[in-house]
Amino acid sequence: MSSPVIGSNLPRRDARDKLRGRTRYTSDSGRLGMLHAALCRAAVSAARIVRVDVSKARRMPGVRAIVTSQDAPGRYGIAVEDHPLFAADEVRFNGEPVAAVAADTLEQARAAADAVVVELEPLPALLSMAEALAPGAREIHSGWRDYEVLVEGGERAGNVAWEATVVRGHAESAFARDDVTVVESEFRSGRQNQAPLEPRGCVASYEDGRFVIETSTQVPWAVRSTTARLLGVSPSDVRVTVPAVGGGFGLKFEAALEPFAALLARASGRPVRLVNSRQDEMQTALCRENAEIRLRSAVTQDGSIVAREAVVLMDCGAYGGEQPFLTTMTAHTLGGNYRLGSVRLVSRAIYTNTAPTGAFRACNGTYCTFALERHTDEICAAIGMDPLEFRRRNVIGDQDIGSTGQVFEGDVLRPMLDRMARLRQCHPPREGRTGGRLYGRATVVGTWFIFVGPSAATVNLNPDGGVTLVTSGVEIGSGSTVQALPQLVANALGLRPEDVVVRAADTDSAGYDVGVGGGRTTVSLGVASTLACAEVKKKLLDLAADMLEASPEDLVLENGCISIAGVPSPRLTIAQVAEHAQAVTGPISGNGSFTGSGAAAMPGCASGHMIEALDLPVFAVHDCEVAVDPRTGHVDVLSYRVVQDVGRAINPRAIHNQIQGGVVQGLGYALHEEISIGVDGRIRQQGFEMYRLPLAQDSVTVQAELHEGAPSMGPLGAKGAGEVPILNVAAAVSCAVANATGKRVQEIPLTPPRVLEMLTDFRQPPNLNHIGRSWRDNVLADPDALLVKAGI
Amino acid sequence: MMYITVNGEQKSTQADPMTPLARVLREEFFLTGTKVACGEGFCGSCLVLLDDRPVMSCLVPIGLARDRSVRTVESLAPDDRPLSPLQQAMEEHDAVQCGMCFPGILMMLTHLFEKDDAPSEADIRAALVGNVCRCTGYARIVEAALSVSGRPQSDNNR
Repeated sequence: MSSPVIGSNLPRRDARDKLRGRTRYTSDSGRLGMLHAALCRAAVSAARIVRVDVSKARRMPGVRAIVTSQDAPGRYGIAVEDHPLFAADEVRFNGEPVAAVAADTLEQARAAADAVVVELEPLPALLSMAEALAPGAREIHSGWRDYEVLVEGGERAGNVAWEATVVRGHAESAFARDDVTVVESEFRSGRQNQAPLEPRGCVASYEDGRFVIETSTQVPWAVRSTTARLLGVSPSDVRVTVPAVGGGFGLKFEAALEPFAALLARASGRPVRLVNSRQDEMQTALCRENAEIRLRSAVTQDGSIVAREAVVLMDCGAYGGEQPFLTTMTAHTLGGNYRLGSVRLVSRAIYTNTAPTGAFRACNGTYCTFALERHTDEICAAIGMDPLEFRRRNVIGDQDIGSTGQVFEGDVLRPMLDRMARLRQCHPPREGRTGGRLYGRATVVGTWFIFVGPSAATVNLNPDGGVTLVTSGVEIGSGSTVQALPQLVANALGLRPEDVVVRAADTDSAGYDVGVGGGRTTVSLGVASTLACAEVKKKLLDLAADMLEASPEDLVLENGCISIAGVPSPRLTIAQVAEHAQAVTGPISGNGSFTGSGAAAMPGCASGHMIEALDLPVFAVHDCEVAVDPRTGHVDVLSYRVVQDVGRAINPRAIHNQIQGGVVQGLGYALHEEISIGVDGRIRQQGFEMYRLPLAQDSVTVQAELHEGAPSMGPLGAKGAGEVPILNVAAAVSCAVANATGKRVQEIPLTPPRVLEMLTDFRQPPNLNHIGRSWRDNVLADPDALLVKAGI
Repeated sequence: MMYITVNGEQKSTQADPMTPLARVLREEFFLTGTKVACGEGFCGSCLVLLDDRPVMSCLVPIGLARDRSVRTVESLAPDDRPLSPLQQAMEEHDAVQCGMCFPGILMMLTHLFEKDDAPSEADIRAALVGNVCRCTGYARIVEAALSVSGRPQSDNNR
């Protein structure tokens, strides 16, 4: 039985303090006797390190500790351990840390960091994927063969940090059919800085032989394990706590500054604060990776896609980081939207001498969806079919298979497209179009997923009848831990959300969790919490049954009370039973745990993938109207509409807020957030003056509808709603701009100069000559062996 | 020794006159509501009112605030007093996400409403030209501000 708490617009419990300026973020932290830290960073992008001399820096005023690579010899990585804490023998990107200093004041720490002598012998820098893939290019990791591999299966060689392939069906013969039109498209997308307003930062201390770290992170358990690995200590010697986090968007999905602060805390015996400046964040943020994509499809005249092939190059920067994992996503973001007769995809993470890239909301999905939907519109133009009709015919439906052979359940995208078509009809293009602008519109689809994975929850029933929810969930601003989670717990136990205390993340008190990201909090922590509540409820009802001399099956738990079904009295409050438990069984608590079900792909189709099939797909349909000024190249977004698959809306108002915020972030990505890298390997945008974030005057109010009822393993059928809103935005905007201008949009962001060049035919198409003409030229694996493996 | 009135209370500081006002507010007076998200005057998270005018406190040397009056976000609902109408509107519209930008946005909008008690949507968006919010996409912030504007809702000149 559902209670009104589900589907209600519960306000945020943390809003008042945030509005009063009282919320304490990590960047507001201070401790008695705390030191301040600064990093010495390399100012070149590729060099051999001849000598690092800290003797002068050590004698500077106020300096308490200096640490270098000798203090942290370990390496880390998600798939391949290629990343040391400090550059040791070689500098691989401009901004790479070489030493860390702790001093009495921040100014002293910075002065000492500047005084560290770093003698370097320059190496040729490879700043683009074209340079890194050129024949005979220097290997950025000459020792790649000796790195420890944590996840087997990806092909690696030279500057290809990881390669994942999908082969299903015989694409070559499908392309050779004489009844098909072959359409080929090439795309390039830029980097995007997550730019949460709170920079990465932490305060670390060394207490009773353990590292205690308060930090601004999305992944307390990854901080714990990475810090331990780099410092060569046991993970249980690291404790991580997380107060309110001032935004993440994926930037804080890896350990960052914590190991430096931990080393300095141990070396100095004092608490150490290390917080990035905005310039640090611009130079070293784990940006959304730039990508280069070639797509080719064979389509029949009636619009069936009989073959598709893709080459996707993802710039991982100097170290692999998340990218070996993210190559996995191409299979689903390019291959989980439309029915494909046959398919072959290769997705490669490429090392360059640039700052490492990482996770950013709908990682990989934003540019693959941009490329796929622009390609889809080019297919429609080539065969003369209406783009909406083409999509309606081809989107994945119930029992259709994705690129890796996964069987999808439920018709979701098609009814969502119909819903968008109705929304479009209700809002015809505005009248009064004047001023010589070019108008365009596009409707696009996208497939994303919930990054399910292990989560643990404990629910303690307190003697007063309220409960405490203990998880490693972090409140990064999305509201999941202050809205959806207490709503789910309250619903499961017949309580009010305000009766549910939510414990802030502390790896000493809560069980393991992958982290907050990938739309997983409401799903994974939600299920774990609900299961913990079920155990509490069973214990409660067993005790209440004794007290009421009834059978537990005949009891109902609602509105904070337990009574016999159909009999209004006698009834017990939860507090009475909780109090009774103290005397009879001791305090009541329950535990819950969750992990993904492991959806199946077709055997042999996917190689080098960490997720071969999606446990929980999520779909979105976006529609956008633009006006392009042919004199300035400025793109104005006139209207924006979203139909989003949410499974079930636990808190509709909170979901709408995520959609609005995600779409506007996507508009920045599509239109004006641009990262460029200078010849010195330095990121040119060193602050918000040059890096153009969306402002209030840029942003459009999104009209969104929540699509409920798609199958979901989430609690009460819910799906995560925070990550997917950014997925389709670049696709919608670029398709609408192509529609408005009649030009082939192949690159984002669509900054005014780029649009103007396109309009005046001065823009050269992206040069992707480093992608071999034949798909076979772009794989390290033997293409024929891949066919055999896939059973073809 | 310099004197400065902060949220109606006289304070003194011995900070170097070139020290940013934001730093003195946060580190000496523990008014950490004022945030420093960029430190270069481009994000607005440190925006405070100096003699009733909005300034980026990360760029204002404390020496220039000498004998002047500063208002920070903590002044809007001091002690245990209820939220200001603007704060309350933000809460009611579920506008808040991570919260880092709100101290500056609230002070900018407080200034706007002190000049004009009936701003339009366009006025509100223009006033926020120096305030970055990375989470919300601004719609609810603008809606909440409009809800306390004396201007009839139909009279928006956007």
